[in-house]
This record gives sequence, C-alpha cells and structure tokens, in this order.
Amino acid sequence: MRAGRGRGVRPSASATLLVRAALAVYPPSWRARYGDEVQALLDDSGGGAVAAASLAVRAIPAWFWPSRHLYDRMDPSVRMRASLATVLIAASMLAGLGLVFAQLTQLQGYRPAGHPVIGWCYAVFDAALAFSALAAAGGGLPLWLLMLRRAHRELRPRDSACLLAPVIAPAVYLLALMVTVRSVGGADGVSPWWFLAVTLAGFAAAGMAAAGPGVALRRLRPRGSALRLATVAAGLVAAVMLIATAAIVVAVIGLCLWAPGFAGYHDVTVPGVYLVLVVAAAAVTAVSAARGARAAFAKPGSRHT
Amino acid sequence: MRDKLNGWADPPLLVLASLAGEPKHGYAITQDVAETMGVRLSAGTLYAVIARLEARGLIEPLESDDRRRPYRITAAGAQALAQQSERMSRVASLASHRLSANPGWAGA
Repeated sequence: MRAGRGRGVRPSASATLLVRAALAVYPPSWRARYGDEVQALLDDSGGGAVAAASLAVRAIPAWFWPSRHLYDRMDPSVRMRASLATVLIAASMLAGLGLVFAQLTQLQGYRPAGHPVIGWCYAVFDAALAFSALAAAGGGLPLWLLMLRRAHRELRPRDSACLLAPVIAPAVYLLALMVTVRSVGGADGVSPWWFLAVTLAGFAAAGMAAAGPGVALRRLRPRGSALRLATVAAGLVAAVMLIATAAIVVAVIGLCLWAPGFAGYHDVTVPGVYLVLVVAAAAVTAVSAARGARAAFAKPGSRHT
Repeated sequence: MRDKLNGWADPPLLVLASLAGEPKHGYAITQDVAETMGVRLSAGTLYAVIARLEARGLIEPLESDDRRRPYRITAAGAQALAQQSERMSRVASLASHRLSANPGWAGA
C-alpha cells in the first residue's frame, strides 16, 4: 500500500485553528468517524484558510443528507429523542419569529391596498400556526404525561420542573408582559425599545419552555409508542411550519415590494435579516424532524435512522 | 450522490479509479488523482466522497495504527468502476470515429 505521508509541511497555528473550527460545524457522528483523518490529510498537505473554507462548506450536505452508515449503530429511540429536542427549540423560535411579524403587521390591521396576496398569507400563517400547535399538543401530550408520571414516581424534582417549563415559562412571561404594558404602555402601545425588550424576553421564555422538555428527554430516555407518536407529530408540525414559513416569506417580500412606506419595509436590510433567521429556523426544524421521522418509521431490528 | 457515476472527472469516479490500483489513505488519494488525472480534490470534497462511497459499500476502510486510515475498493466498487469505464470507453470510441469520419472536423 502506498504510504505517501506527504511533504511534512506543518500548517501554522492559525491554519490548524481554522481547520478545527471548520470541523466543529460537522455533525458529531461525522466528526467522530472522519475528523482525525481529515486533520491528518490537512497536516500532510499543509491546508490553510482555503482548505478550511472548503471543508466548512461541505458540512451543509453532511447535515442535510447524512450518510446512513454513520448511524447504523444508533438506537432509533436515541435519534427520535435528539430530533424531538431539536425540533422543540427550532419550531418555537420559528413560531416566535412568525408572531413578531404578525404583531408588526397583521395585528396592526395593515393590508396594502390592491394586494390580496398579503391577506392570504396572513390567513395561511394563522391556520398553519394553529394546526401545528394542535398537532404538537395532541402528539406530544401522551409522552409528556408519561415522563411527568415517571419523574413524579421516581422522585425526580429537577425533571418534573423541566417538564413543567412549557407551562411555567410562558405564564411568567405573560404576567411580566401585562405588568410591563400597564406600566410603560401608552395609547399607542409601548415604545420601540420596550417592544424590542419584550420581544427578546419572549424568545428567551420560548427557548426555556422548549429546552425544559428537551433536557427531560435526555435524562429520562423514554422509549416506545408514545415517543414514536410524538416524533411523528413533530414531523407533521415541521411540514406545516414550512407552509407558515412560505407565507411569511411571501408576505415580507410583498410588503417590501408594495408597501415600502409601511414600518421599515423601505429598507430591505431588516426584512432581509429577518427572512434569513426565518429560513434558517425552518430548515433546522425540517431537517431534524425528517431524521426523527425516518427513525420512527424504521423497521424493528433495523438500526438505520 | 447521484446513482450513476457520471462524468469523467466526477470525484467519486476519480477516487474509485485511484483505489483500483491499491489501497490508499486520503493524502495518497489526492496526490494520485492530481498526478495521474490532473484534478485537485480538496479535503472537504474528498471526505464527502469517501463518506458516500463507504455508505454505498463501494469502498471500505482498513485498520490503521495512526490517523491516516487507508481505504480499499470493494468488489461492488470495482464492478461500478468497470461499468462506468466501459461506458466512457464506448463514448470515446464513438466520438473519435465520428470526428474522424467527418471532414468538417478534421482539425478537432
């Protein structure tokens, strides 16, 4: 076999750091399998910033189209739990972004004259959000009750608290919101800075509400039909949220094109950044949900996810 | 990865052709491909290809004491490579025959 150890060109410390950063964006299973080999290749070839950039770009397909052989030892339950935890957070962020948009447009009663498509987008978004909330509640409730019962039976107060986060965090946030609006709000609502503070606090509350069950999933490690049902429901939620995402994208672009005088839509920077966040959250939700659904439908005894 | 190994410079094809001679690790593959076929494969491209060829069962890793893990082509990989080689050979032969038969392409 040809050894070919290379020129022995040692990469600089900064180049090594760049390569490590590029490898860090790969899925953990990919890194575990190929990370050392890639590092050895770049040590032999003297890889620099260009090599690191090429490596980082290739991480995207590694996430979206993972190679099955990297998961053939993974228990489908592990895959389902990981996907559920990710979908919970990503979907809550996506819903939050959508609600911010709704608050700034739909709830202001704004509809550009002569452009019914934006009104349709509002309706599609509302319906998708309501349906996904129902699907999440219906599909997730059996698993949630199962875990809550187990945490109570086994006297695990931390896990019980994590599982109650979806109830506690929004309740605390809404209470704080009511107090804030009454204290600093006027006839026209709150000032832009207070709106920003309230929005950021809302995202933090949503994150905590979603992270709690995710932590409980990792600690309690549920299995069985309740987990499978919740994972399939997450897949359905992700699919419906893609429709909501499309509605948001069309509405924002429409407002930029047809209503530049409204709010900040004359400057495409903020809507542009907003759309990037929306699409990124939707992509993470969809990819993770798809991988979880694939594990949920895997044949018994088959360890492919 | 596409089902067919299309294109003479398709990275999966180049990697399979490189391994058809003898097992090699990543750096040796890139060197061989650059020297014999004139194509530079980046680390990202190479390991994306290796991951997919391994998932398809066309190559397999060998044991190694250090980080430089060698790969070898499997029977399925050799068969896929042979099929693609034959396809490319037919295309090359047809093209050559038609170009030489057409006086308008005498300079081609």
